[in-house]
Amino acid sequence: MRNKSSQIRSTVSIRVLQVVVGITFIILLGRVIQLQLIEYDTYSPISQRNSIRQEFISPARGLVYDRHGKLIIDNQPTFTITITPINFNRESIPLLSNITGYTPEEIEERLLTARRYSWHRSSRLFTEVSFEVFSKIQENLWRMPGIGHQIEGIRNYPATVNGSHIFGYLREVNLNEIERNPSYRLGDKAGRSGIEQTYEDFLRGEVGTQYVTVNAFGQEINQFDAGRHNEPPLKGSDVHTSIDLELQTLAEELMRGKVGGLVAMDPGTGGILALVSSPDFDINMLAGRIDAEYWRQVNSDSLTPLFNRAITSIQPPGSTFKPIMGLIGMELNIITPQTTVFCNGGYYRGRLYRCTAEHGNQNLEQSIKNSCNTYYFWMMNHIAQRGGINVWKNMVDDFGLGDRTGIDIPNETRGIIPDSSYFNRAFGVNRWGIGDLINLGVGQGAMGASPLQMAVATSVIANGGYRVQPHIVSSISHADGSSEFNSTIKERIEWIKPGPLSLVQRGMRAAVTDGSGRFYANLTDVEVAGKTGTAQNPHGENHGWFIAYAPYDDPKIAIAVLIEQGGYGSTSAAPIAGLLMEQFFYGEIRRPWIIDQVIRRPPAPSASAAASTPTIQTITD
Amino acid sequence: MSWYRQIDWITFLTWLFISVIGLVAIYSATQGPLHQGTNIQGNFTKQLLYICIGIVILIILHFTAPRTFQQVSYLGYGFALLLSITTIFLGVEVSGEKNWLPVFGFRLQTSEFLKVATILAVANFLTSRRENQAGTFRTAVTATLMLFIPVVLIIIQSDTGTALVFMALIPIMLLWSGVPYGLCLLMVSPVIIGYLTVIDYVWGLLAAVIITATFFFLEKRPLLTFGTFFASIIIVIGVQVGLHDVLQPHQRSRIEAFANPALDPRGAGWNVMQAKTAIGSGGIYGKGFMQGTQTQLRFLPEQSTDFIFCVIGEEGGLISTSLVLILLGLLLMRLLGQAAAHKHPFAQLFIVGASSIYLIHVVINLGSAMGLMPVIGLPLPFLSYGGSSFLANTIMLGICMNFFYHQRDFSIYS
Repeated sequence: MRNKSSQIRSTVSIRVLQVVVGITFIILLGRVIQLQLIEYDTYSPISQRNSIRQEFISPARGLVYDRHGKLIIDNQPTFTITITPINFNRESIPLLSNITGYTPEEIEERLLTARRYSWHRSSRLFTEVSFEVFSKIQENLWRMPGIGHQIEGIRNYPATVNGSHIFGYLREVNLNEIERNPSYRLGDKAGRSGIEQTYEDFLRGEVGTQYVTVNAFGQEINQFDAGRHNEPPLKGSDVHTSIDLELQTLAEELMRGKVGGLVAMDPGTGGILALVSSPDFDINMLAGRIDAEYWRQVNSDSLTPLFNRAITSIQPPGSTFKPIMGLIGMELNIITPQTTVFCNGGYYRGRLYRCTAEHGNQNLEQSIKNSCNTYYFWMMNHIAQRGGINVWKNMVDDFGLGDRTGIDIPNETRGIIPDSSYFNRAFGVNRWGIGDLINLGVGQGAMGASPLQMAVATSVIANGGYRVQPHIVSSISHADGSSEFNSTIKERIEWIKPGPLSLVQRGMRAAVTDGSGRFYANLTDVEVAGKTGTAQNPHGENHGWFIAYAPYDDPKIAIAVLIEQGGYGSTSAAPIAGLLMEQFFYGEIRRPWIIDQVIRRPPAPSASAAASTPTIQTITD
Repeated sequence: MSWYRQIDWITFLTWLFISVIGLVAIYSATQGPLHQGTNIQGNFTKQLLYICIGIVILIILHFTAPRTFQQVSYLGYGFALLLSITTIFLGVEVSGEKNWLPVFGFRLQTSEFLKVATILAVANFLTSRRENQAGTFRTAVTATLMLFIPVVLIIIQSDTGTALVFMALIPIMLLWSGVPYGLCLLMVSPVIIGYLTVIDYVWGLLAAVIITATFFFLEKRPLLTFGTFFASIIIVIGVQVGLHDVLQPHQRSRIEAFANPALDPRGAGWNVMQAKTAIGSGGIYGKGFMQGTQTQLRFLPEQSTDFIFCVIGEEGGLISTSLVLILLGLLLMRLLGQAAAHKHPFAQLFIVGASSIYLIHVVINLGSAMGLMPVIGLPLPFLSYGGSSFLANTIMLGICMNFFYHQRDFSIYS
């Protein structure tokens, strides 16, 4: 027999164990009471929601139209196969591989990716599968637990235009965005550039919900309560743009193979008629599943096709800046309509500032027509001395240069119009002088503007001194039938007086009829006014500019074209603007040989126009 | 006294009642319209068969001489270990656990029978060496080793739940080996502190302080107490570092999910959330037999095995769940009461071991189902579907009942 203490010990131990059992069962009983009695109100609705599952239906994204109501962007259904890893059985892989044509290794890899995201949530396994594959999957769904299917919309571009830099592309939202905006779900796409990004909230629409009775495999049994509680998705709002489809198509065609940007707009409203950045990317290639090879190619291209040159390229405007200078000179009382400057091939102030030719006596109108540099070197010298660089900058800014224009596509640049603090920053206090400023008079030196900014400035001259806000979208029609107009700013620039303005306009008209624009931009039935420009490029061939508007007396279109490394604006940019004018006013091209010239032969510098004889100049008023 | 009055009818009837409740729940969980054509549909008839076999086993075991169990204990233990090793090599994997041995067309879960054999062997070992039993360290180590070999084998079969049962048995069995209470406490404390630290390190620290204090009162050795406290703090820090730096985020989320399953109802806490929802939505009276939406729509995972209690809770309500708890409690109290009254240490220790196994199963199973601890797959004794588990538990109960029945004969052996 065991000793007594041991006997007592084991009896005590059993009593202790009995107490433990008692306490355990009291705790368990308490938990059951807590769950079933006290928290019944919490769990009962959850269990109802479980059998009645809320499902989300993606809304159709809003459509995009051109100014005449022609469809530019719509949606096209695609079929997606989803996977929920926790429910998925590896034994289904051969069948899945058989149906989809993907190798088992590929499926394994995608399964791993899906698992990395979540075991319990469904991820997209295959997107954009064919209808045959989709329906086969549908038939065999019951044999492949964890596999699901859904119909989604991807962007479709039925129109002839590409417009990649206007409309932009969509990409899947990332986890940060989902956290910030709970209306996004994983796998949703959102606009990543262009108006798709700016008007994302309008285009997206509202997610619909439906209540279906489902089992734990996610298989629908039926609609709950005959669908009475369902909320259909609210279609995204349609967006009406001011884009002119034909004009945009032609503009894209003309810009192909060149590097540069182009903006055509309605000078009265600021509505963009055409906007091209070249080279661009194929927007269709980014509509659905991305071709990795294409994406790599687009991203590694040294000409940066993703970069929107029309709104972000900053180049000195060159001679296209002269009309603006004319208006500033008059307002600052440096020149009058009668003021003439004698040009003998340049302007000497510390050093020689060259002109393109010996123009002789030039007044404002003539100086614009002949693009006489001497006139503006002289004027800039006086502006710098009398008004100062900061006064000049403020006036230039009024034309929409040196700051964002407020266009409704993202990533616009400010451009550069320098003031004294700019030079202080760039060169150091007191380490710059008049010599750095005189070049600004002919749109050279430390300044830069985008084609969009030049188009806005052209509009100001064309429309009688009104600063307009450029915009792509003119109105938005909501799914409920109501619509709203895009309210944009249009304000009179007070200091621009009609007298000086008409003088400058006459100069621009003369530049097209008799000046450097006469070869390509002078239309027979429509009076065009414009100005060519050539921006010096220390790194290569000069950049060609052309700004124009028409008709002269009642402008309907203002155009700015920049051809980077295109040489002279008169031969690189002006033909493009001229053709766009023809298309816009005639609805056809009357000089098809120019198209051939523009498309076949990327503009090269012509030797004859380049010649200029540098001489030391004397200046007379 | 007539033979039938010596039979422990309370234990038998409680067992039968619990088994029938389980059978009804299994019917509901497997015969609904959504379960037509699935492989769990046959579970009901099979379980019915197991209950019948169980009754036969109970009858046969009453005719066995109690001494036989002592005699075959080591042999049985060796045979069960051999079976377990065979399972490792020839076993079939079912839902991630490779603990099924195919025998004559049946799938045998050898670890269930290993439980019975181990308790028999340990009980025999601890009670057969009367002279040097009290307090020898060697006895304690040998007993621990006898319990620890199955743990290793079962962990290899990746059956975490059953391994935990064996580990929990170690301190309970040690209490009878004469090892000081303080040492027993020390052996359990890492698990308690570690578990509480996962919930919140403040709880872990609190547990460390309380355990150290208790240890000091039991042993009155300041230096050892200080060492205990130091070790406890290291456990708290270790678990914290392991949780946040060593484990992958998804592994951590699985562990943390039970602490707050509402965080991600479709994610890692899905099972817990669904189980709690099933029980909670049952209310007082339940949704009615075959009417539970959680059960019938298959939102519950493993609903005829590990989560059988949720089926009872959803369809039978608080009335049924409390009835099940009372019956299980009654069974355990009855077994332990009989053990206390029993004169023979072998019988006493075996009954305590068996009761402890039932208790651990109940705590882990219900704790998982009601969101009190991380989900660990363990069947609820006599209620969950499963032949091996049901029959092994019934055999254990039969041996206990044999000891009651033959209580008087024991004096002969001692």
